[in-house]
Amino acid sequence: MTEQTIKLGDQPQELLASQKKAAKNLTEDWWAVYLGLGIIVVAYVFYLSGSSISWIAVSPSKWSDFSQLRAQFSKNAVHYLALLAAFLVLFTIVVSFIGQKPKSFVVSFIFIFVLSAIIFAAGNWDQASRYNLEPPLLALLVGLIISNVIGLPRWLDAGFRVEFYIKLGIVLLGATLPFTLIIWAGPVAILQASIVSLATFFAIFFTARKLGLDQRFAAVLGAGGAVCGVSASIAVAGAVRAKKEDPPVAISLVVFWAILLIFVLPFVCRLLQLPTGVGGAWIGTSEFADAAGLAAAQSYGGLANAHTGITGTPEQALASYTLIKVIGRDVWIGIWAFVLAFISITVWERNKMNSKNQAAQIWWRFPKFVIGFLVASVLTSLIIHGHSLAEYNKVVKPTLIAPITSLRTWAFTFSFLSIGLTTRFRELSKAGIKPFVAFIAGVAVNIVLGYVLSVIVFGHYWANITTN
Amino acid sequence: MKNFSETKARSFEKTCRNCSYFQNDPAFIEKEFAGLQSLSSGFASVRARDGICSHHQLYLPMEDSCSDFVLRKSNTEENRKRP
Repeated sequence: MTEQTIKLGDQPQELLASQKKAAKNLTEDWWAVYLGLGIIVVAYVFYLSGSSISWIAVSPSKWSDFSQLRAQFSKNAVHYLALLAAFLVLFTIVVSFIGQKPKSFVVSFIFIFVLSAIIFAAGNWDQASRYNLEPPLLALLVGLIISNVIGLPRWLDAGFRVEFYIKLGIVLLGATLPFTLIIWAGPVAILQASIVSLATFFAIFFTARKLGLDQRFAAVLGAGGAVCGVSASIAVAGAVRAKKEDPPVAISLVVFWAILLIFVLPFVCRLLQLPTGVGGAWIGTSEFADAAGLAAAQSYGGLANAHTGITGTPEQALASYTLIKVIGRDVWIGIWAFVLAFISITVWERNKMNSKNQAAQIWWRFPKFVIGFLVASVLTSLIIHGHSLAEYNKVVKPTLIAPITSLRTWAFTFSFLSIGLTTRFRELSKAGIKPFVAFIAGVAVNIVLGYVLSVIVFGHYWANITTN
Repeated sequence: MKNFSETKARSFEKTCRNCSYFQNDPAFIEKEFAGLQSLSSGFASVRARDGICSHHQLYLPMEDSCSDFVLRKSNTEENRKRP
């Protein structure tokens, strides 16, 4: 990365315009919350009026030969076009407000939608599981090949908003999980995740210190491995006033290991024939980033059937993953930043800055999409309350829950594809041997301890979580 | 009361958020930190509008200050807001 002297007067006009636009508005997190809850409210209004949003929440169904697939797409062409138009309008509004160029976004999003539809369809081929064509892994692989082998113009990145899509998907996921499950499993998720987070952080931090890395850099690396990956690294880097060159190194290490684990964890879970709820819990404990972990959990959940011998349901993998990752780890990022900021200011070697530690950062850094996830869960739990299981399966599920699930899967697919499309390995910062070794210490602790807690200690618990 | 407000305003002005060396535009941060967009975002809440100081080569909160402060000519709304 080249060194730059940055002064406002030197900035290109487009950057200034982008600043002004971003200024007026909310963060990506809040947009994901409003959009996700808005979709749920609209779905509920349609449901109350005896209709459903399923007309627009279309997705490919199972097929065995190309003629069936062609028939599906030609029959539903109008529905797909309407879905694309709806996504385009809503997302373009959001990206314009957060400061992206709408023109670039529109072209980029059409590209990502078409590619996602192809991947979605490939995953519904009746032979897909035989060839391991799990849509999340396929999306990631296709994205990685396009960005690293073929290459795309940089302006197309405008539509590859990994975090926005995953946050929207998680809010919609909240609508498909009963709130009682969050209350029931939340404390166990927090306990399990906290044990692993602390052990991983200290493993990386003290290994890094032993290797001679400075405290702030060690903290940035430790947070990346222990809390929520790249987001944690960047949050803690700001809190501890890290050197400008530290975050890119931590980002490179997290991206490298997170992408590797997307493939490794479901593979090992399958070898061990873990129930989907247990596999999801292990992935939630040991993966480094939300989007990467969801790709792994959704892939593993998709393997559940009589042919593979894996028990459980796809929803159990997603539920246990989300509870551990989002409720157990993500929500604590503000606390981590606050505590490490306090230590950096009061204990560690001083820099030239006059710094004060503000408790308000616990809220500033709070991943707001979690609020949307919880509100969505409460909303649908209230809606469903009072229906018998038979009524739920006959009416509520097909007209309300299934369309929301379909939109959620679209959002996740956009995200998985975007991970691949934005990960350009040659552009990542070179980590150097010491940070790499320190991070490996955390990876080892994370994976082994995650396995022990998810499979041996709480295995029976995660295997039996109820998602409806 | 007036003097207190003026003093407060002056001290507020000398924080990173108003310094010409400080840059926290989300798009700029994504460009500077390669890979940030792959598994996170410059526009996320967790970033809390932290930014890069090109003078000290640090990544830090916009409430910090130092003796090398240089007032930015045109301030932006971006730097005043919190997530």
